[in-house]
Amino acid sequence: MKTNILYTHKDLIEKSKSGDRNSQYKLYELYIDAMYNVSMRILGIKEDAEDIIQDSFVDAFKNLTAFRYESTFGSWLKRIVINKSINHLKLKKVPVIPLEQHEYYIGEEMNEPIKTMDVTKIKKGIAQLPDGYKQIINLYLIEGYDHIEISEILEISSSTSKSQYHRAKKKLIQIINTLE
Amino acid sequence: MDDFEKYIKENKLLFDEHKPDRTKLWSHIDVELNADFKEETVTFWRSPMIKIAAAVVILIGVFSLTTIFTAANESNDFANQELNDIDTYYKNLVSFQVELVKNNAKLSEEDKEEFLSFMDELDKEHLLLKEEMAANLNNEYILEAIIQNYKKRIELIENLLEQIKDSKKSDDNEGYIL
Repeated sequence: MKTNILYTHKDLIEKSKSGDRNSQYKLYELYIDAMYNVSMRILGIKEDAEDIIQDSFVDAFKNLTAFRYESTFGSWLKRIVINKSINHLKLKKVPVIPLEQHEYYIGEEMNEPIKTMDVTKIKKGIAQLPDGYKQIINLYLIEGYDHIEISEILEISSSTSKSQYHRAKKKLIQIINTLE
Repeated sequence: MDDFEKYIKENKLLFDEHKPDRTKLWSHIDVELNADFKEETVTFWRSPMIKIAAAVVILIGVFSLTTIFTAANESNDFANQELNDIDTYYKNLVSFQVELVKNNAKLSEEDKEEFLSFMDELDKEHLLLKEEMAANLNNEYILEAIIQNYKKRIELIENLLEQIKDSKKSDDNEGYIL
């Protein structure tokens, strides 16, 4: 079953590899919405996300021969979008990880519980998070990456990723609980 | 995974709230892919290794083409030579016999005329066939037609010879009867 998932849209992908613009467009149509949202969550600015998305698709189609079904096409593409978006933030000198170093983190387990679970509130909460916290929450909670993958994306250690995530989550819950 | 994390995971799709301008984005992607394609082809031809390789390929091509052509010409010459030999042999034979016919006193003028006009026709046909032959040497049909042409001439001469013999016989018989 897993291999079946890996080969999703194999036909379109193979045709796109040989430069068939029609198949490339079909793949684009299938993934554009999800990819745009991934980039928007990281960048928060429409124009920036559009630039990154265009760039990502062009790069993906140009380097499609490098895609060998080791992951799904979606996750391969998503990784390109995320890497480009994170690099864009770095170029703009927007912190992608909290400025404080993780050594100062002490295992505080007295996390306050969340009062109400609500997607709109969570979205608002994430938007209000400091820049450094936002990305780790996005990557772990919404994009579903594990700490090893996040450590690669953000170029930090996986233990840093873990501790930063816990801090970010705590901060997020605090913010959500203050929202009416 | 705590409840908060679970809740987000289960409602993941609700976090996709933005709608991209699909057409606008694709038009840019399309333009860039086309531009990259052109650039790739240009840089491909700009690479010095490719230039050298292309020059080598062209040289090899020119060399092999000239050798093929000269070889073909040589074999053409050879075939032409053989054909010419055959041609001159038959020509001589035919013209010799035509002279014989012309000078034969025993044949009537009418028969001579008829024979020579046939011969002229065959001559014309023969010339046409030779022209065709120069245009495409290896055409079997034309070769066959040329042979047929010669055969007809020989047949014609043979017929004439038969006629002469017959007239001789009838003359003899007449003499005998008389």
